[in-house]
Amino acid sequence: MRVYEVFLKPDGKEEFRHAGSIEAATDELALVLARENYARRAEGTHMWLVNRENICVSEEGFIDSNLDKPHRHNDGERVARWRKLQRNKKNNE
Amino acid sequence: MNRSWDSLETFENFLDSGGIVEPVDEMPTEYRQAVFDFIEMHANSELMGGLTERDWIPRAPGLRHKMSVIAKTQDEIGHAHLLYMVAADLQIKTRQEMMRDLFAGKSKFHNVFHYRAKTWGDQVAIAFLVDAAALVSQQAVFKNCSYGPYKRILKRIIAEEGFHLRFGEESVLRIAEGTQIQRSMFQSSINDWWWPALQLFGPDSKPNDLLLRWHIKSERNEVLRDRWIQKFVPLLQGYGFTIPDPDLRWNKEENRWEIGPIDWEPLKRTLAMGGPDSARRISEASESWEKSSWVREALEKVAT
Repeated sequence: MRVYEVFLKPDGKEEFRHAGSIEAATDELALVLARENYARRAEGTHMWLVNRENICVSEEGFIDSNLDKPHRHNDGERVARWRKLQRNKKNNE
Repeated sequence: MNRSWDSLETFENFLDSGGIVEPVDEMPTEYRQAVFDFIEMHANSELMGGLTERDWIPRAPGLRHKMSVIAKTQDEIGHAHLLYMVAADLQIKTRQEMMRDLFAGKSKFHNVFHYRAKTWGDQVAIAFLVDAAALVSQQAVFKNCSYGPYKRILKRIIAEEGFHLRFGEESVLRIAEGTQIQRSMFQSSINDWWWPALQLFGPDSKPNDLLLRWHIKSERNEVLRDRWIQKFVPLLQGYGFTIPDPDLRWNKEENRWEIGPIDWEPLKRTLAMGGPDSARRISEASESWEKSSWVREALEKVAT
């Protein structure tokens, strides 16, 4: 028996979302079981199953190195200040 | 992920600040056990409830009700499935071990499933009163549960229990609009199921309740019980039925219903597997598990 993670995608814009897991003997049976357990009331139009063993999981702290990189953001402050200044000038004229 | 905490105190601080625990985290053993016990009992209750529901498929009055009962049975068994998966991921017991313990009478399930549903009226009382009681408790857990997988799966379960509740109330309405015989059948079901349903919430929470401290539950038993009472007294009376509690009274000053003293002995008996129908329920569940063993064996054979 294998454990599969179940992902469902509702129609349209939404992304695939993790719904839960299911235990099954084969891929084919897993699809049937997942449909009967997670999608009885039109919870999605597309379904992905992933064998849990095949999921790559990052080590602890692996993505933390990206938490502190302010240069990847721009808060737009400098431009906002300049625009405000221009607006005030115009209003004062 | 794989977070760990150096003491129970730092873990509790994490929970108090709204932290959500995931299965890969190195959570304290006591917390892991408490979450597991809670989810295992919920899973067992869904399974036992689903089996009761199943018994009524051939006896439901009319095709519409029969179809609803089939859908409900599938929902309850489905909930058990999902919950056993979540429980197994805590790596305390496998699914097989949980089944074994349930059928050996070693693990708990809700008190209400230790009673026998004798008539369709009983089944409707369960669908209305008991499902609502379960829903009230589940909503309170869902609102603030610190264990991530359980919180997420509860969202789905609660949505489906909502359908059951509507089915329950519709069935009550149809009985209420029915003949005198039907109405008195349902009144006697209310007499039998009112107190067990009310006891489902358990006695008042103790001040040091670990489930509350660790944000597994978010509200005290007595608060949930009272919420259910305030809702169901007027509902049942509105349909023209009476509540089997001679001390029930409306408190005008506080604008709320007050009930008489609760006898906790029946609840204690069910927790010790000594309820009126405990033995038959467990052996029947075990028997149906045995009967389906050929399916599991066939699956093992094709397992890749």
